[in-house]
Amino acid sequence: MASDPPVVVAARGVSKRFRMVAPGQELKTMLLHPGAAFRARRHRATHWAVRDVSFEVRRGEFFSVVGANGSGKSTLLRILAGLSKPTSGRVEMNGRLTTLLELGSGFHPQVSGRDNAIMNGLLVGMTRREMEALLPSIVEFAGLQEFIDQPMRTYSSGMYVRLGFAIAAFMDPEILLVDEVLAVGDARFQEKCYDHIAALQQKGVTIVMVSHDLAAVERFSDRAALMERGRLIAIGEPRKVVGLHVERLAQSSIEIRTALEEHIHADQEGMERLLAEDPEAAAAFAAALETNPEFHRLMEERAREQEPAAKDPAEPREPGRPGA
Amino acid sequence: MALAPGLAPARGTRGRSTAELVAALTSRDLHLRYQGSIFGWAWSLVRPLALGLILSFALGKVLGTGITAEFLLAGLFPWFWFQSSVQAAAGTFVGNGGLLKKVRFPRAVLPISVVLGNTLQFLFSVPVLMGVLLLNGHEPSVAWLALPLVFAVQLLLTIGLAFFVASVTVFFRDLEHIVDVLLSLVFYATPIIYAADRVPDSYHWVTVVNPLAPLAEGWRDILLDGEWPTADLVYSVAITVAALVVGWFTFRRLEDSFADGI
Repeated sequence: MASDPPVVVAARGVSKRFRMVAPGQELKTMLLHPGAAFRARRHRATHWAVRDVSFEVRRGEFFSVVGANGSGKSTLLRILAGLSKPTSGRVEMNGRLTTLLELGSGFHPQVSGRDNAIMNGLLVGMTRREMEALLPSIVEFAGLQEFIDQPMRTYSSGMYVRLGFAIAAFMDPEILLVDEVLAVGDARFQEKCYDHIAALQQKGVTIVMVSHDLAAVERFSDRAALMERGRLIAIGEPRKVVGLHVERLAQSSIEIRTALEEHIHADQEGMERLLAEDPEAAAAFAAALETNPEFHRLMEERAREQEPAAKDPAEPREPGRPGA
Repeated sequence: MALAPGLAPARGTRGRSTAELVAALTSRDLHLRYQGSIFGWAWSLVRPLALGLILSFALGKVLGTGITAEFLLAGLFPWFWFQSSVQAAAGTFVGNGGLLKKVRFPRAVLPISVVLGNTLQFLFSVPVLMGVLLLNGHEPSVAWLALPLVFAVQLLLTIGLAFFVASVTVFFRDLEHIVDVLLSLVFYATPIIYAADRVPDSYHWVTVVNPLAPLAEGWRDILLDGEWPTADLVYSVAITVAALVVGWFTFRRLEDSFADGI
């Protein structure tokens, strides 16, 4: 590799603050009990998901970010991807960006894999013709030849990820952002993905990955960074960073607790699908739950909180149902 | 190069890709809506037709107002186009939350494709409406040339409202329900089941404030009476311009926080 390739990805003092909605601050309370809402304003809680993170990644580098769930690494990746605006600081990107963030969320279950793939390409700025030319390679890479015209609701979660990865991999990226999507595929496909990523890297593609697969981080990354409660606390050689991460993880059961809670909170559907389809993950998950009495308490608390709320407002709605 | 969230990666073929994206989203929405149903898009005709018939019975025959089915239909078809567009637009960002959180694409394509899908449906139903009118002895008139004008004003008004409603609903979910209620009220505040000249003078302001009133009158003047739309349409144009400006700027102001707000 050339002695000093240019910086293509840079975060400069990136911070992201989320406002926590605490009792007394919801819009509903504001409307119905403005007095109470006004008093609660003073205790307005904020949460810094990402705090003053700075780093630079050079062209052709494989850069990984590790950290417990809830440490802010996925938020950081979303900011890098331009999906979320940093509260302060800025991000610099130099090159065509392809993101692989929990693919499958962009897929429509009632539509065939082929149409979803084309839609995915159109979404990131490809033309239909370009996408149709790429499709045979994508289908072959994903190993979905006989399923590509089936609606995606018939796909297993592994097939979702395979198609998602194949689409991103063939988009001819200059910078590839990868969230922990590869954890779902089977070992053989994972291997294939990492091989492909390595081949992309050979061609000079820059990769920024967020992962829990510490073995893979050690094996493939050139550099790694560790995040803890929104801050970048270590950056350097992957082996050392992963070592530090494991050490700190063992010390802090509180991290595990919030990690589990937030994971379920963030992606309940994905979690349920994973548990239903992967007996190994289900067993590991059950074991983690059993050994954590604190977690039981939190779940009970949540269940009690949610009961009166009854209906989920985020429910996807059917369009066009007028009642004049 | 600083990253501008909300804009997709720059490519040479950007414009064509966005157009293709809108087309793909629109056709997918239409396809999914009638997937597996035997009568398909014909269902979009059933609602205005059935309502027109029953109202012409209830209002025309029972209450004896002399209102006819074709009078009602000429108002109901454009109304349902407006209503279903705005209603569907309200849920479009919230309903595509997964996409907004994970993929960077021009957000404006979502409300546009929703309105476009409903517009296509309306356009397909226009020949049916005209068929009904011809069967009832109305003759094509040169005033029909003004139909694109009324169509364009209503389309732009709908797009402006769609942008506003879709964007604000992300942060204020009640709006979706408020819109539902408002729409069913506006239906009665618009001269659809009555003619505007039957509105008592003291309530004349209702037909000025409501941009749909001159539009509804316009559709009927052209289709039933073969007359050019009246100058009242200027009110609709003014409010349409305002709706487009407010809708677009609200959208631009809020689009960066969609991914955080859902």
